[in-house]
Amino acid sequence: MSYDPSRSTKSLTSSLQDNNGDTDQNTNENRKHSVLDEKALREDDTLFIRDQRVLKISRNYQSILESIGEDPLRQGLLKTPNRAAEALVFFTKGYEQSIRDVVSDAIFDEDCENMVVVKEIDMYSLCEHHMVPFFGKVSVGYLPNKRVLGLSKIARIVEVFSRRLQVQERLTRQIAEAIAEAIKPRGVAVIVECLHMCMIMRGAQKVNSRTTTSAMLGVFREDPKSREEFLSLARITPF
Amino acid sequence: MSATEQCVTTIQKEKQLATLSPNGHTENGHNDTEDDTAFTVGTTNDNCRRTSMRDRRSSVYDDNALREKDTDSIHNDRLKSMTSFYKDILISVGEDPSREGLLKTPKRAAEAMLFFTKGYEQCIGDVVNDAIFEEDCEDMVIVKDIDIFSLCEHHLVPFFGKVAVGYLPKKKVIGLSKIARIVEVYSRRLQVQERLTRQIAEAIQEAVEPRGVAVIVECVHMCMVMRGAQKVNSRTTTSSMIGVFRDEHKTREEFLSLAKI
Repeated sequence: MSYDPSRSTKSLTSSLQDNNGDTDQNTNENRKHSVLDEKALREDDTLFIRDQRVLKISRNYQSILESIGEDPLRQGLLKTPNRAAEALVFFTKGYEQSIRDVVSDAIFDEDCENMVVVKEIDMYSLCEHHMVPFFGKVSVGYLPNKRVLGLSKIARIVEVFSRRLQVQERLTRQIAEAIAEAIKPRGVAVIVECLHMCMIMRGAQKVNSRTTTSAMLGVFREDPKSREEFLSLARITPF
Repeated sequence: MSATEQCVTTIQKEKQLATLSPNGHTENGHNDTEDDTAFTVGTTNDNCRRTSMRDRRSSVYDDNALREKDTDSIHNDRLKSMTSFYKDILISVGEDPSREGLLKTPKRAAEAMLFFTKGYEQCIGDVVNDAIFEEDCEDMVIVKDIDIFSLCEHHLVPFFGKVAVGYLPKKKVIGLSKIARIVEVYSRRLQVQERLTRQIAEAIQEAVEPRGVAVIVECVHMCMVMRGAQKVNSRTTTSSMIGVFRDEHKTREEFLSLAKI
């Protein structure tokens, strides 16, 4: 019943497509891909490369402002392309770090075998389908197996994966897999509850709807009582 | 500096900026306040930010919406060009636009952006559509908890919240949903919350000519929550008080307690 992360990795195809876990048809058994060592898309950026990115994005935003019908030369919009480009690079700064760096050896041997829950972590991400924000809260729980993870590292893992172009389902799974791989616990559970602006501001326009996804690994998947305990401890209050 | 002198300085500074329409666009020769001191100050306690309505000559009704004259083919051209810009943006961010999840993203993002700025496609005259009725009503009318969603013009990031609108009619009332539609037209643009609030108030003022209009807008700005200062619980409130709501504090008080955002 012990959780073995090597059984839930996918086969490594080093193309960019797979790096975001996009080929969901692969079963757990085929996955040998390590979340901790996965290369981040912008990990090798120098300051110069980053500035080039911002410059290119701001040129595109300038053109977008014209296409909308606005006048990019009016006072309020003069520096908007640059600000919007900096903002977008910030919203995707999760591409600049690998999980290995984030976790950074904050793994401690501890004689703890009871559930650890970090709940209601604020999270802000960008929907990869519309490039519009979605945001909400994340609750993470795990049952340690003699090793615990620094608490703020859990929040940092959430941050790295959320500051990307994401799909809520994949985000949830990535957080769970990262923790599973880092400390090899008996089980990991992650719940993410978000408001999607793409659904509230446009499209269906349902103002009060929230989307909840979860990822249960190891003993949380197999044992309903553990799952129940986690769900009652980690309840996300309305926001 | 006395309050009057301060107000004169403010008016002069405003005139130094090019003559601006409510959209912030340069217009030709609509502002004819030749005399710097020819303005109306509100109550003696008013500060200078409440400049007079007389300085803004352009009519909200006549204001041209930027995309009002778009045909379907112009709209499609906009969509096509924005799609290619968004694709470039995806590449610049470091992503691979040919992976499955991102294949149609440029088009979806372009359509979303056009939807978020659809306020440019309508002018207020059309929105109000003569839904103005003679009614022997002289008590306060308030429409509150109107959800709004707008785009910050500085960062192109959403801000959203609620609006409460109140007015004291003078024999004319406006269709209630038209108030919400006016809010919608102005909010679905690249906006600054202060300007949005003022525009809503001025539109109702011009449509119905009431004894006074009051608008309160309370929003959460994603540009402040998701980035920058990163203050998760902060909300920004702006208000616009015209006519009797500006001059009489008891009326203002009544509105504030009824509107209770």
